[in-house]
Amino acid sequence: MIEFDHVTRTYGSKVAVSDLTLAIPRGELFALLGPNGAGKTTTIRMLVGLLQPSRGAIRVCRADVVRDPRSAHLHVGYVPDEPCLYDKLTGREFLWFIADMFGMPRHLAEARIDREIDHFELDEFADDLAESYSLGMKQRLVFAASLLHDPDVLVLDEPMVGLDPRSVRIVKDLLRTRTSEGMTVFMSTHTLAMAEEMADRVGIMVRGQLRFLGTIPELRDQMAVEATTLEQLYLELTAPGSSVGSPAPGGIRP
Amino acid sequence: MSSVATLEAGDPGRRLLRPDAESRLFLRLRATIAWATLRWMLAHARLRLGLVVLLSAMFWGSLYGLFVEAFGFLDGLHAEVISLLFNAFFSSLMVMLVFSSGILMYGSLYRSSEARLLLTLPVRAETIAAHKFQEALWFSCWGFVLLGSPMLVAYGIVREAAWPFFALMLPFMVSFAVIPATIGAICCIGLVAWIPRLRVQALSFALFVGCAVTVWLVWSLIERGPADALSAEWFERTFARLAITEQKLLPSWWLSSGLIEAARAGRDPVGPAVAEAGKFLALLIAHAMLLHLALGWLAAIAYRRGYSQLCSEVPTRRRRPLGWFDRALSSAGTARGRPLRLLLVKDLRIFRRDIAQWSQFVIFFGLLGLYFLNLRSFNYHNAYASMIGFLNLAVVGLILSTFTTRFVYPMISLEGRRFWILGLLPVHRDQIVWSKFLFSFLGGLLPCCGLVLLSDWMLGLGWRLIAIHEVCCLFLCMGLSGIAVGLGARMPELRESSAAKISSGFGGTLSLVISSLFIMVVVIVAAIPTHLFLLAHALGTGRLAAKNFLTWAGGPQGTLASLVVVAAVGIAATVIPLGLGLRSFRKLEA
Repeated sequence: MIEFDHVTRTYGSKVAVSDLTLAIPRGELFALLGPNGAGKTTTIRMLVGLLQPSRGAIRVCRADVVRDPRSAHLHVGYVPDEPCLYDKLTGREFLWFIADMFGMPRHLAEARIDREIDHFELDEFADDLAESYSLGMKQRLVFAASLLHDPDVLVLDEPMVGLDPRSVRIVKDLLRTRTSEGMTVFMSTHTLAMAEEMADRVGIMVRGQLRFLGTIPELRDQMAVEATTLEQLYLELTAPGSSVGSPAPGGIRP
Repeated sequence: MSSVATLEAGDPGRRLLRPDAESRLFLRLRATIAWATLRWMLAHARLRLGLVVLLSAMFWGSLYGLFVEAFGFLDGLHAEVISLLFNAFFSSLMVMLVFSSGILMYGSLYRSSEARLLLTLPVRAETIAAHKFQEALWFSCWGFVLLGSPMLVAYGIVREAAWPFFALMLPFMVSFAVIPATIGAICCIGLVAWIPRLRVQALSFALFVGCAVTVWLVWSLIERGPADALSAEWFERTFARLAITEQKLLPSWWLSSGLIEAARAGRDPVGPAVAEAGKFLALLIAHAMLLHLALGWLAAIAYRRGYSQLCSEVPTRRRRPLGWFDRALSSAGTARGRPLRLLLVKDLRIFRRDIAQWSQFVIFFGLLGLYFLNLRSFNYHNAYASMIGFLNLAVVGLILSTFTTRFVYPMISLEGRRFWILGLLPVHRDQIVWSKFLFSFLGGLLPCCGLVLLSDWMLGLGWRLIAIHEVCCLFLCMGLSGIAVGLGARMPELRESSAAKISSGFGGTLSLVISSLFIMVVVIVAAIPTHLFLLAHALGTGRLAAKNFLTWAGGPQGTLASLVVVAAVGIAATVIPLGLGLRSFRKLEA
């Protein structure tokens, strides 16, 4: 579903992402963890086509994100860290705009918009202008928009920011259901509890390099420490000067 | 035939749109947003909408009257003069449209959150560019239409042109405007994609060259002084200098020639003059379409790449050439006033680092300074010189009022986002308001008084008038700062993060209107004694009683009385809004 093939991204002389090779199969929920400035957002922006890699290639459902961005975007739903909406559109009008952008027939768009409004409990404010929304309301609307076209890959950048506990529960349930139906989720987060609870595999990035790739039990085995929670393991791995965990080998781990 | 192309037969919820369907979708989006904005303005901002319409109509009407007079005067001269004027006017506008559209495209294509959203959707890069180009064209053209249409209508009326001229006017203007706007957009995309690091230098260089050429042209036209103005030699010299704008390869020449031909046409819409005008229109449309195609092609290959390039930039470490000034200001004075000074230093730093603020400040006051520097060339008589001195004072005040409304009025509202920082610091709320007032007052005082002094000096006014103008300028700066800061504190919009939106709301509009009224009152009150004095001189020896009264009113007593009124109005304009603002800001719950 998602393939990073020796991807490097530089900002001037600074290497933000270094030789990232990673493949995420269908139906997996992958969580990318790492401290601030580790390269998570750069990785996500390359995946959704906002940034182009300096070297290497990224493919989504076999479509190259740089060479054929439109085909790649057909398969992707994206929830950015800062929701972007048109202030002078209502929530429902925004959803129609996105549905039209994906060329959805009218009857199907209507059904899907109603479905997402129902899922994310948007009914109360769907016909108000987006400029009156709170951050959480905006985030729920962006989630709804990203799932309208039933994407094969859902990319989430810090998805729970601004959501209230009920909305967080809705999102978690939805992610579980969708991944069980075959949707792949690529998520960047600082909420370790969520990664621990939801992710099939985690990747930990430090200074642009993937220091660990695997499941949480594998992380525990690899580090061979007494620590039991992901938080303890994460802090150990990302501590300044830590020698634990070498750059992870490329490719999928079983 | 369906407007969509199926990508995956089994997935009806995901299809790539055809280019025409993408364009229609964006048109629908724009129409929906425009309709929602209009409804919102009718419901929440009727005052602003009404003022904009009224002021635009007044501006249009004044320009129309001015142009009717001007064309009436020029009609008796050689026809080449009109052609020369049209060419100079349209070629200048062409250059300005290139810059304004390039800058607007840069902001909307590379710096807007909408572009970030659209680039993650399955839409063509060239469609996004076309969508943003239409926006840039609209924003950069309204000024062109507002300036150009009264001139052309006046020309048509004076020349007694038939209906084909008026019918062709709008197509001519639109097709012409597309050409420089597209060139600006092409330059912007190309610059960002291929020399992103040099874009600021390239733009600065182009702006510098543009300004240098403009200054040289203006200077060379007036350098010989007023003695030979409007003489045959002066005309010849002017024609020679402006001949550069009459190049036949310039779209501005096609536009001028087409319009002049259309005005020559009689009532016959298929006559030879209309046909000639039609050829020029076709030439403009063909080039506009060709350039638009080039823009689409360039956007397809370079927009995404440029966007990515721009994100690759590492912010450079900021040098602090004025750090010593900030340190000196922070540590000077008593410990009690230190928080206020620290707030002042913070606002100064933000001003210096916000290019939108200081560049507009420099451009507007710089252009005004350039105009004042050339005042001596026109050799005004005393009465006119005095009147122009007061008008210049009003212009300085009006420009300052646009700055206080646009940048000072939103300052308190913008602090709302950082209220948790200021609320936790040992700073009295009054000091926040006072720091904004001092920032605006002291920041405006020096350039405004300097400009007024320059204007009076170039007009050759006496020390008495200069002193009156300087006193008025002092109270103008004080009052305008008081109005903007006071109303900003009285009606803060703490949830809004955009200064432009805050200043264009009800409070900002009210601030602008009150500021304009205040300037009018100050300038009129200060000008009355001087003009009564001049009137007394004009009356000569007759009407002794009237002359005695006018001499008294225009003498030292009258001047003193007018200055007392100016001071009272200035203090009232400062104290009343500031008092209201301070009281309201003390009670504010963030």
